[in-house]
Amino acid sequence: MTTTETVHDRIGTARDELTTGQLLAVFAFVAALTFVLLFLQEPLAHDSMHNFRHAVGVTCH
Amino acid sequence: MLVDYLERGVLAGVIAGLAYGLYMALVANPLLGYMETVAEGGEHGDHASAGEHAHAAGEHAHEAGEHAHAVSEATTAAVSIGGGVLWGILLGGVFALAFYFLEPALPGRGRVKTYVLAGAGFLAVSLAPWLVLPPTTPGAEQAFDPTFRSALYAGMMAVGAVVAAGSIYGYRRVSARSRPIGVVTAAVPIVALVAITAVAAPTIVEIGAMPAELVAAFRGITVLSQAALWALVAGCFGWLQTRAGVRPAAERRDDLLTSP
Repeated sequence: MTTTETVHDRIGTARDELTTGQLLAVFAFVAALTFVLLFLQEPLAHDSMHNFRHAVGVTCH
Repeated sequence: MLVDYLERGVLAGVIAGLAYGLYMALVANPLLGYMETVAEGGEHGDHASAGEHAHAAGEHAHEAGEHAHAVSEATTAAVSIGGGVLWGILLGGVFALAFYFLEPALPGRGRVKTYVLAGAGFLAVSLAPWLVLPPTTPGAEQAFDPTFRSALYAGMMAVGAVVAAGSIYGYRRVSARSRPIGVVTAAVPIVALVAITAVAAPTIVEIGAMPAELVAAFRGITVLSQAALWALVAGCFGWLQTRAGVRPAAERRDDLLTSP
């Protein structure tokens, strides 16, 4: 490992270590969890997470 | 290496999430329950005028008393605590992914980098959106529909990320010559964001019948709890990195320079 790494080096290392599918799976999981916790407006989910969303300060209702 | 970072980030997120879940259980749930009661009381006392106001303004008014809960209060409390834990895990995972890719570009040495990224995350995820959509309290009246507000919140997260990136970039460019000027340069995009939103952003959240002091206290505790969550994620992640023997590039370079 070099001592003068750059962001490009890190991206290259990630590409070498993981397949595109694995990287996409990680980002899809993050996106799904973000959507459910912050933006899902389905009434049951919304009401269940009502206090959480108020406490986190995300837009609600 | 990315997987190692992600593993430590999720573990840091579990620790921070459990702490935040505890905060949800002991502080947020009881406080919001009390505020729902206050909102319902205020609404019953002033229902007609509040309703007329919302109707006249063409706004969507969420009023606690009108809101038919689809689930029991116990379910809301339990899921909200679970949501708090998941929120910590999500932030920990996202933090680790971002830290893995951005570590070489972050200013500072050692664990300072983790706190810089946590600050940037706090700005992007919470502070920037709150400049337009401040944390809402039960009984608050809000303009626009939820879909638009969600899009606005997401858009402000992107704006916050750009501002944080600009701030860090500015600091890195200037701090080599003068650290104080670097700090001032880093502050410019943040101050500009605050000034522009203060002048240009419409008032979206009206607090309704809730006492202003209670709203201020709720918003203060919301800001502090989110800041503490980010600090805990960064602190635990840094500790786990040190424990795993990961050393910052600057330290490795110093070793190479000083070793014979």
